[in-house]
Amino acid sequence: MIWRFGLVDSTFDPLMTTHLALAATLALPLLLGLLALLFPPKRAWPVALASVPVLASGLVLLAAVEQVQLLRWQWEIVGVTVSLRLNGLSVLLLLMSQWIGFAAALYTPGHMRLTSVGPLGFWLWPLMGALISALSLIWLATDLLTLYIALELMGLAAVGMLLLSGKATALLAGMRYLLLALVGSLAYLLGVALILGHWGQLDLQGLAGVVEPGPVAWIAAALVGGGLALKAALFPLHGWLSPVHGNAWTPVSVLHAALVIKASLFILLQLWSILLPDTFYAPHVIAWLGMLAIVWGGLLAWRTDSLKTLVASSTVAQLGYLMVAFPLLLGPDIAQLPRALAWDGFWLQLIGHAFAKAAMFMAAGNLILATGESTLKGLAGSSRRLPLSLLVFGVASITLMGLPPSAGFTAKWLLLQAMVMSQQWWAVAALLIGTLLSAAYIFRVFRYSFDETAPRHHYQPLAPGMDLIALALAFIAIVLGLLAHFPLALMNGGGV
Amino acid sequence: MIASFDAIETLLAIGLTIAALACLFDRHLVRASCFFVVFAIAMTLAWWLLGAPWLAAAELLLGVVLTGLCFFYALGIFSPDASPALRRDELHEPWGRAVARLILALGWFVMVGAAIRYVIAEMVYSPTEHPLLLAGIVIIACALGAFALHRHLLRRLLAFNILGSGVFMLLAGLAGTTATAQALIVVGLCIAWLGSMLGALLIRQLVHLEGVEALGCDDEPKEKAT
Repeated sequence: MIWRFGLVDSTFDPLMTTHLALAATLALPLLLGLLALLFPPKRAWPVALASVPVLASGLVLLAAVEQVQLLRWQWEIVGVTVSLRLNGLSVLLLLMSQWIGFAAALYTPGHMRLTSVGPLGFWLWPLMGALISALSLIWLATDLLTLYIALELMGLAAVGMLLLSGKATALLAGMRYLLLALVGSLAYLLGVALILGHWGQLDLQGLAGVVEPGPVAWIAAALVGGGLALKAALFPLHGWLSPVHGNAWTPVSVLHAALVIKASLFILLQLWSILLPDTFYAPHVIAWLGMLAIVWGGLLAWRTDSLKTLVASSTVAQLGYLMVAFPLLLGPDIAQLPRALAWDGFWLQLIGHAFAKAAMFMAAGNLILATGESTLKGLAGSSRRLPLSLLVFGVASITLMGLPPSAGFTAKWLLLQAMVMSQQWWAVAALLIGTLLSAAYIFRVFRYSFDETAPRHHYQPLAPGMDLIALALAFIAIVLGLLAHFPLALMNGGGV
Repeated sequence: MIASFDAIETLLAIGLTIAALACLFDRHLVRASCFFVVFAIAMTLAWWLLGAPWLAAAELLLGVVLTGLCFFYALGIFSPDASPALRRDELHEPWGRAVARLILALGWFVMVGAAIRYVIAEMVYSPTEHPLLLAGIVIIACALGAFALHRHLLRRLLAFNILGSGVFMLLAGLAGTTATAQALIVVGLCIAWLGSMLGALLIRQLVHLEGVEALGCDDEPKEKAT
C-alpha cells in the first residue's frame, strides 16, 4: 500500500520546469482569486484566459510524472521539514481538482449575473482560489503538518463559501458545519500529537518505516479517522451535509461535493494505510457503515422532496461504495490481484463520482434557477422547456447509477471483481442494492419532469454556457469509463 | 529549586482548569468571555514556563487579544443597541441528555488517558510529575462535554476554543516543545482564531437577521462518535 501512495524514495530529481509548474499549481489559484476580488470578472472569457496557466502547470506535471513516475520535494524551514511527492495518483487527483475548479469558475459569472449577489458575493473568487490551492497541496503533501495546514485552509475556505448566500438557514447550517469541522480537526490534531509524541516524526514515509501495531497506533488512527470521517461526511456523521447544500450557491456545491469531501477521504485512506496495515476490525467497521450508508443515503434521496437534498443524499450513498472497498484495500489476507483491482476501482469511482456529481449539481442548480422552484414537483413540465439541463442530469446519472460505459460502471466492475475474488458477498449485495436504489431516486426526478399536464409558468432563461459546462463535465465522467486504461496505467506506473 | 518550579507549574495547572471550567459553565456570557481571556493569559504563562517564548507571544496575540475580541464582538459589546438577552443563556436540557453527554465526555477522558499511558509509560508511577499534561486531559474532557451539552452557538464556540487549548497543551506535553510541535500549535492557534472570527461574524449576522432566539436553537445535534 505504501508504494501505491508514492511514499518511497524517488530516483530522479525534479527539473527546473517542474519546479516552476509546482509553484504555479500551488500559488496561482490563490493569486488569481485575489486578483478577481479586485477586478471581478463579468464574463466567462477572462476567467478562461486566466485559468490557462494553472491548467498548463497541471499538464506539465502530468508530463513529468509520465516520464519518471515519482517526484519528491523536501525543504527544511526553521527546523520544520516540509515534504511533497507527486506520483500517478496525486497527479490524477490534481488534474481532477483543477478541471472541476476551472468548470466551476467558468460557471460562476453566469450564475452571478442571474442571481442577486450581495456585496459579499465577490469574495467567492478568493475563497475559490484558496480552496483549489489547498486541495492541490493536500494531494501532494506527505507530512502531517503540511496536511494539517492544507486541510484547515480548505475547510475554512469551504465554510466561507457556503455562507455567502447570506440567508439565515444557510448561516445556521454553516455555523454547525464550522463548529463540527473545527472539532473534527482538533481530533485530527490530537491523533497527530500522539504520533509525534510516540514516534517523534511527522513525515509519512519515515512513519511508514517505524509504525508498529499497538494501542498508540490504534488510538491515533481512531482519532484521526474520526476527525476526517466527520469532515468527509462518512455515514453516521453525514448529518450536516444536506442542510449545508440546501442553501449554497451552485458553484460552491459543485466544489464541495466533488472535491472537498474527497480530500478528507484521501487523507484518511493514506494515513490508515500507514497506521493500520493489515488490521481486520477498523476497515470492516468502515465497510459495514458503508453498506448502511448506501441503503440509508439511497432511501433519503428516494424519499426527499427537494432536488438539492436528493443530490446531496446521493453523495452519502456514493461515498458508501468507497467505504465498502476499505477491507479490500487495508484488510489482511487479501491477495495481490483483488487488492490491485480494488485500488483501481476505488480511485476510478472517486474521480468518476467527482465529475458526475459536479455535473449533476450544476444541472440541478440550472433547473432550480430556471424554474424558480427547488422541489421535485416544481420540475413538472420542465422536459419541454429545459431539455438540455435534463439531458445533463441524465448523462450524469448514468455514471452515478453505474450503467455502461461510464466511469461508474468500470469502477463498480473492478470493485465487484475484487469482491468476488476475495469472496466478500455482503459487499457485492450492497453494491447491487445501491445500484437499484440510485436508479429509483433518479427515475423519480424524470417522472416529475416529464409530466406534460403541468401548467406553464415563467422560466428564467439561462446564460448560454451554463448547460454546456455541465454537459462537458458529465461527458468527462462517461469518457473516463471508456478510456479507463489511461488513468489506471498512470496510477500503476509507480511500482511493481 | 526544582520543587518550587513544580509548585508554580501545579498552581498554574489548577488555575487553568478552574478558568476553563468557569468559562465553560458560566451562564453570563460576558463573564464567560472574560474567563476565556483569563484562561488564555494563563496559557501564555504556561508556554513561557515550558520554555517556548515564541509560542507565548503567539498565544498572547492570537489567543488573548484577537480571539478574545472576537467573542466580545459577537456579544455586541461594541454596538450600543445589542439586546441584553444575548448576554445570558439558560439550559433547558432534559436530564437524560445531559447524562448522556457526561458519559460521552468520560469516555473520551478514559480513551485519551489510556493513549497517554502508552505514550509516556513512566507517568503511571508518578502521575503528578506532569501537572500541565493532566490539566490538558481534564480540560479536553470538560470542553468536549460542554461542546456536546450546550446549544447556544457562542458557548459552543467558547467550548471549541478551550478544547483547542487543551489539545495544544497535550501536544506540548506529549511531544515536548520541539520546533515541529511549536509549528503545529501555532498553526492550530491561527486556525482557532480564524474559526472564531468567522463564527463571531456569523453570530452577529444571525442576530441581525433572526434575533437572539436563533442562537439557541441549533437543533438536530450531530455529535462526534469516534
